[in-house]
Amino acid sequence: MNAPVVPMALVPGVLALLPAHASLEDPVAPLRAACLAAVGRLGPRVRVVASGGSGGSGGRVGAALVAAVGAAVVESDETGVLVVGNGSARRTEKAPGHFDARAEDFDAALRTDLASADPALADELWADVAALGELAGRTLAEADLLYDDLPFGVQYWVAVWGTRDGC
Amino acid sequence: MTLALGRHTFGDDDALMMAIVNRTPDSFFDKGATWAEDAAFARVAEVVAQGAEIVDIGGIKAAPGVEISAAEEKARVVDFVARVRSEWPDLVISVDTWRAEVGAAVCEAGADVLNDAWGGADPELVDVAAQWGAAIICTHTGGVTPRTRPYRIEYDDVVASAIADTVAYAERALAAGVARESIVIDPAHDFGKNTFHSLEVTRRLGEMVATGWPVLVSLSNKDFVGETLGMEVGDRLLGTLAATSVCALAGARIYRVHQVVETRQTVDMVWSIAGRRPPLRAIRGLQ
Repeated sequence: MNAPVVPMALVPGVLALLPAHASLEDPVAPLRAACLAAVGRLGPRVRVVASGGSGGSGGRVGAALVAAVGAAVVESDETGVLVVGNGSARRTEKAPGHFDARAEDFDAALRTDLASADPALADELWADVAALGELAGRTLAEADLLYDDLPFGVQYWVAVWGTRDGC
Repeated sequence: MTLALGRHTFGDDDALMMAIVNRTPDSFFDKGATWAEDAAFARVAEVVAQGAEIVDIGGIKAAPGVEISAAEEKARVVDFVARVRSEWPDLVISVDTWRAEVGAAVCEAGADVLNDAWGGADPELVDVAAQWGAAIICTHTGGVTPRTRPYRIEYDDVVASAIADTVAYAERALAAGVARESIVIDPAHDFGKNTFHSLEVTRRLGEMVATGWPVLVSLSNKDFVGETLGMEVGDRLLGTLAATSVCALAGARIYRVHQVVETRQTVDMVWSIAGRRPPLRAIRGLQ
């Protein structure tokens, strides 16, 4: 695969990351730290790609993270691309969408090709994958994977492509 | 408004727990449980562990009873204040007294707040607060004599009276040199009031908050709760917390209480409903 022109990052559209939903104790502190580290590698001008566009909740989460690292959201001439999306929200009994036995395999397939999801199945499994086409051909294996967990039964990944630590 | 209570300051949105510590053999709720100095000291340790920011130490019960001289009142509280000051430097120490002579002695021993539950009966108390840099609680009693029960007291408008008297007291304290951020007003539920008066003061507490002076409420297990619900002293917690919720929604800043944990939880919940405090840890629906 050709090296990307600009670095790209993937974060989940977790609403708890929005400043308006701040708690006294951050329920997503490790995730937030990983997201800020990833977005911080995208340079000063970040194009955000999210399902539902810039007005959707994923777009607002992306914009909030960009603002939190002191960068600006742009439509073009970007120094980095932030893709907002995540795996299934039906991974466990306590998950928002309850347990679905198909969810684990679905997420495993996404790991090897983030743009591979069948939209109808993704819908059934409460996976936010509409923006992942931006990452076509990329795998998590080749990314700098900063976060890979499902703390609430929702599969989150925070990943960066095209940069190395310290760049 | 920022609160300065003696050597301690608090932010605009802080709601504070003032735990009652009686050095009396006969107060209505604890009935002398902390009359012994070690028991009172253990009570302070307990409420500090429960997160109370303030202790309110009193040497004379509010209700009528045996006359307690200033010398006896000082014997009950002054050395005790010094001991608490030494053990808990970060704790706000308030003393419930109306006497300037006692106020001066406890300030010298380390008190931060003079809680004048009797509405300025001793006009020199404000001078003592100013001299020592202490805060003062200005209460409304309808002009009754300390340690008397209300008897057939009527008001044209009890809230208007409470505002007029406490604000006048606050301005007198300000003129005497007490810092503006160290003056608190208290409608004084049950003091000079029948139950209907205390209910109305609770219902209309927002009018007192609107004066701009920080408001303290002392609701804990009082007769207006007991008469409203038909509950004896030991069974008034739920009614107290209901009244606490109403006052918290209106914006009362300090809660003088027997039960710190329950009141804190109630005020935290209302504070968050009012949008003044984030939830502790909210993730439901936000994953």
